[in-house]
Amino acid sequence: MQTILDVQSLKKYYGKEPNQTKALDGVSFQVIQGEFLGIMGASGSGKTTLLNCLASIIRPTAGSIYLKDKELGRLKESELAHYRGNEIGYLFQNFELIDNLTAKENILLPLSLHKVSERESAERLKLLSNYLDITDVLDKFPSQMSGGQRQRVAAARALILDPHIVFADEPTGALDSKNARILMERLAGMNAVEKTTILMVTHNSYAASFCNRILFIQDGKLFHELRRDHPRETQEDFYQRILRVMSMFAGGEPNVF
Amino acid sequence: MFSKLIARNSRRNRKDSILYFSSMVISIIAFYIILSLSNQNVMLFLKKMESDAVDRLMTLIPVFYVLSLFILFFLVYFAGSIQIERRKHEFGVYLTLGMKRSRLFFMLLLEDLRNNIIALGIALPVAVLLSELISLVTSKIVGLGIIGHQFSLSLPAVVFTVVGFLLVKLPAFVFFSIKVTRKEIGELLSYPPSGIKKQLPNIIYFFSMILGALMLAKAYQLGISGRAWFDRKIMGLTVSLGGLGTILLFYGLRMVIGFFAGTGRRNRKKLHNFNFRQVQEMVIHRSTTVAICSLLIFASLCLFGAGIAISMDATDNIHILDYTFSNKDSYENLDTEQVQEFLEENGMAPLFSNVLGIRVGHPKELHSLSLDNLVEQIERAPLNDARNTLLHNLKNRDDCYLISLSGYNELRQAADLEPFVLEDQEAALYMNRDFLIDEALLNSIIATRPAIRQSGETLTLTGQIESLPIVTDRSITLTFALIVTDTRFESYTGGNYTNYVSAVLDPDFVQEKGLMQAIMETNNALDKMPLAYESYLQSMGRKLFYVVAASYLTIYLALIFLVVANTTIAVLFLMGQRKTHRRYQILVHLGATCETLCESARKQINWYFGLPIAVALINSIFGVLFLFPALLPAASLRTNVGRRVFIAGIVILVLTLIEYIYMSLVKRSSDTFLRTLMIPQRVD
Repeated sequence: MQTILDVQSLKKYYGKEPNQTKALDGVSFQVIQGEFLGIMGASGSGKTTLLNCLASIIRPTAGSIYLKDKELGRLKESELAHYRGNEIGYLFQNFELIDNLTAKENILLPLSLHKVSERESAERLKLLSNYLDITDVLDKFPSQMSGGQRQRVAAARALILDPHIVFADEPTGALDSKNARILMERLAGMNAVEKTTILMVTHNSYAASFCNRILFIQDGKLFHELRRDHPRETQEDFYQRILRVMSMFAGGEPNVF
Repeated sequence: MFSKLIARNSRRNRKDSILYFSSMVISIIAFYIILSLSNQNVMLFLKKMESDAVDRLMTLIPVFYVLSLFILFFLVYFAGSIQIERRKHEFGVYLTLGMKRSRLFFMLLLEDLRNNIIALGIALPVAVLLSELISLVTSKIVGLGIIGHQFSLSLPAVVFTVVGFLLVKLPAFVFFSIKVTRKEIGELLSYPPSGIKKQLPNIIYFFSMILGALMLAKAYQLGISGRAWFDRKIMGLTVSLGGLGTILLFYGLRMVIGFFAGTGRRNRKKLHNFNFRQVQEMVIHRSTTVAICSLLIFASLCLFGAGIAISMDATDNIHILDYTFSNKDSYENLDTEQVQEFLEENGMAPLFSNVLGIRVGHPKELHSLSLDNLVEQIERAPLNDARNTLLHNLKNRDDCYLISLSGYNELRQAADLEPFVLEDQEAALYMNRDFLIDEALLNSIIATRPAIRQSGETLTLTGQIESLPIVTDRSITLTFALIVTDTRFESYTGGNYTNYVSAVLDPDFVQEKGLMQAIMETNNALDKMPLAYESYLQSMGRKLFYVVAASYLTIYLALIFLVVANTTIAVLFLMGQRKTHRRYQILVHLGATCETLCESARKQINWYFGLPIAVALINSIFGVLFLFPALLPAASLRTNVGRRVFIAGIVILVLTLIEYIYMSLVKRSSDTFLRTLMIPQRVD
């Protein structure tokens, strides 16, 4: 299996001593092709900082990130922009659709930024909108859609250029449970059928139960890892295991077995 | 603590909308300059001769001032509402922290007051200096001389500027402050969705656009027909059709922009689609504001055009003679020698370089002129307005003035022209320039040497049409006269004529003192003599007054309109950009570089300014056709196409320059803002 993402001793510090905050304090992990990886942690544990580093929105203090064989730290600004739009997809907690563009225009926005012709992606647009069940809303504006539809449109936008990996930042955070389930089912489906690699940050145990593997992060460090024993372990059982780990969060590292 | 908060907030407000703040400063400067008009050297000088007219102008100025305050109110109201809207969340936080509503209201008011005082503090000294400079430059240009210039600070102008400015700003701010402090905290704290407004079916926008275009077309038609100037009802109809048409046109424009956004070269240009949607949003949310801006730019274009045309008219006069003399207590003719003697006796001869007499008279028999041959020739000319007017003017003419050749030649000499040679059977045509419609046509006809009859004798017309002013007084003009040899002049008039004795000032003397000053000094000396005189100054003064007053007022209004329109568009864009900054951040996530964002914003700015300007330009093509006939004083200007094109050229140049400055400022401001969107997220 090919490694898509390789993160090595990633550190991100804010501020100066003695008030320094160590948002990330030496995080290392790998993501292999076709994996659906979850990262869980409480608020302030460093999840979003990690995701922002991976998406090249902020620069880490130390450590390195390799996507395929490219090291992000060595890329120039224009190359980073290309990286952000073409090689990764990003799914936000609150959708972040541009509200004066229609769904279709939102989905095609990355094409416009990276000068890809619409014809090339017409096929993919059709496939994605069918799969994510948003064909009816393509000509509507975000304000005319439901939250679930919005997030699925955002997912289509993240996937339109067929990126190596999709980063999802609490994608179910702003959805009701029904829509959250639909979204997670579709994402898991994309992962299973299309072999789309997904890295999802969440603190929702139910959403996390769709993943193959979960990393737990606390105070900027990885402290636990769960792997779903596929296919012997049901999603339900995996969910129970996640809950057990989550219940130990409050006490901090020493309480985890 | 409270005062610190106010100081900090007001500084931030200034910085956030530096363009708006600068426009306030420019407006204050313009206000002071127009209000202190009566202190300008030229006006002080004119007051000595044309006090009635100057007084009338001074009563007009408050009207203009109030009009411009009203226009400024539009900007203040609009920018204020956006500013307050943007800070709503902040106010919510203050209230949550326990600030009393009355205190919040007080804080907002003090913040605004502080900025007003700073704006006045910057603008008033600049205004005083600038108005002095204008005073010096105009007096230099009109030859008033600047030796006698005294620094003048007009206190009433300062007071009225301050009062007017605060009168516009404070009520608007009180209104907004009350409105915002009355809202519930929850309402203040929630971020309103900046999303799309509810849209009506496209057909409505389509019809609105068509209706707008039709109304404009009707307004153009009414305007060009010129009937509006004679009938107040038609005038009102023209103006309201034009205004309403523009507003409807902008209302419907969203459909066209939506069409552009949806089709076309969607992905061949970066963010093509996004840019059009942004522009469309402006038209959707603020179509009336944009339409009003467009109308203001249109009005400003017309006013600029008129102002420049009027000021150019001043430089258009042929000035040869400085004085025309007459007897103080009798109607008897003076002769040249008599005047020269007078001057020498009083030691004034060295002031003049030339004294000359021109004899002008009527033929002794009435109805003794026949222009049949000439009229026939004109009738043969191609049909057009100029030919018809000329024909109308000359067809039934059977009388004319006569000018003696010797006198007219002296005038030509004074004007540095070759003397004119006429055979006994020949005559030259003299017409005042203001009545001369198509000089080229008449000259080409005269070149065929048509015959005319005067007192039963046949004369051949020759040479070119002559139109040098024969006396200094510009209100005395000859519409139609014949220049004939002295012997013919004597025989036709039978010795019954007027001799106009005129004089030219010594060029060195004029050079040294400046024309106005030289004439003033000479006037003082002449007042003691038994000669009555009319100086170039008096006739010039009237003209000058008209020109200075009209060009000052038109250019002042044009400037205010342009500043208000441009600042409104700028505020509309910049505040909109801040409000929707999240969109740009999303684009960064999707892989846009800072350059891409700046580029996209720059394109939007081009559209924001371009749309209203384009409509204003189209409007102004017709507007100028409509206004020029009424505004331009001289017939020569009305008919001279080259001159019109020249004026239009200047106007467009000025507009381009001002728009370029505004757009560059807005673009720079937008770039800076977009960079700050990138920076905090990229800190290491």
